[in-house]
Amino acid sequence: MKKHLKVILFIISVSFFQIPLSYSNEVETVSGISYDEIYDPIEPINRAVLNFNFFIDDIAIRPIVKTYKFIAPEPVEKGVSNFFSNLKEPIRSVSFIFQGEFYKSFNSLGRFTINTITSLGTIDVASRVGMEKNETDFGITLAKGGVSSGPYIIVPIIGPSNLRDFSGDVVEYFVDPISNSFPNREYVAIGNGLNERVEVDDQLDKVRGASSDRYEMIKSIYYQNRNAQLEEEYIQNLPVPKIYIE
Amino acid sequence: MRILLILFSIIISFSNLQASEVSEWFEKESNQFLEIINNNEGTESENYEKYKYFVNKNFAIKSIAYGLIGESIIKQSTDNEISLYIDVFTDYLIKTIYKLANSSTSSSIILKDVDVKNDIYIIKSEISDKKSSANLYWKVIDTGSSFKIIDVIIENTSYFVTKKSEFNKILRKNRGSLEALIIEIQKI
Repeated sequence: MKKHLKVILFIISVSFFQIPLSYSNEVETVSGISYDEIYDPIEPINRAVLNFNFFIDDIAIRPIVKTYKFIAPEPVEKGVSNFFSNLKEPIRSVSFIFQGEFYKSFNSLGRFTINTITSLGTIDVASRVGMEKNETDFGITLAKGGVSSGPYIIVPIIGPSNLRDFSGDVVEYFVDPISNSFPNREYVAIGNGLNERVEVDDQLDKVRGASSDRYEMIKSIYYQNRNAQLEEEYIQNLPVPKIYIE
Repeated sequence: MRILLILFSIIISFSNLQASEVSEWFEKESNQFLEIINNNEGTESENYEKYKYFVNKNFAIKSIAYGLIGESIIKQSTDNEISLYIDVFTDYLIKTIYKLANSSTSSSIILKDVDVKNDIYIIKSEISDKKSSANLYWKVIDTGSSFKIIDVIIENTSYFVTKKSEFNKILRKNRGSLEALIIEIQKI
């Protein structure tokens, strides 16, 4: 555990003291992220890892996902998705405390309690009684604390991230009270990963062949989605083209 | 004080009128779009023509195309290059929408809300089929004679922002050559 702690502290410290995130002023957003030139110093490595990920996905993960989607009826798929999402509610609650969002923290805990008692988390009963799900994670907590995103990275098997968000994921993995209480937590992590892959299956199918540069496309989509979780008026603040007379 | 109140109410009613105009336009065009998606009985070229008409009528193609490459590239390129780029991009935009529409069957697009910021209408809608639904935002400008779409945002992913990143990468890799970008777009 001590060794793990050292790794976490190292990643966080690197994340805090890394060089500035972006160097283009062309299209700046409120969160300070330029979509045009995202800080990507290890692009050649990232591209290789992305190709590797697509290769693994093609030969192993995609067939599993497609078979699962073919066999599992929609309610089962939804139930599994709800189950894994429910397991994350306690760690979301912790993240919200660090963000000073105490109402959302209580809401997450309440949702976990209600959904676990009523259906082991497979049915989102809490939403039906007005306790809506709020997404967050440690990466967002760090971002709200002023930590810049750091270099863009593609993690083998896992996918796109950046140093800040990946650090958040590592911290979450070790401090998550629910996952830690499982005897074989690796299986939970694999199950959760596969479930997340199922959820983005349609989008991934559309990305394949839709772009001249899928690496750039995935990077842009990743940052847009993260910014949407960080900015209040994300849609309003997105860059728009200058208007020319048509 | 009374004059101020009158002015205030005139401004409010004018912006409400504009919002209702854009809502009306949106309802009409989205229904037409759904009709195109759901009536694929014609030949491929016939269907393509329908999308072409829809895109040319409703998208601010020149603004999007220019916005994607930026002013410095426009200034350094010849008129012929710009004209070819606009043609190639238009074809690319039509094909993108054609492909996306063909990969999904939508049963409805429901208007949720209209917001205005810096003279740009942000139309929030929900697109859904039997299986799932997604938030779809449209950024629209009023050209005086009609409304034109400048960006489409599915959930949180903006078409304009995503394509700008891709096009910029190609331009940077080829030292700002618009010709190289045109070749890359044609390859897709």
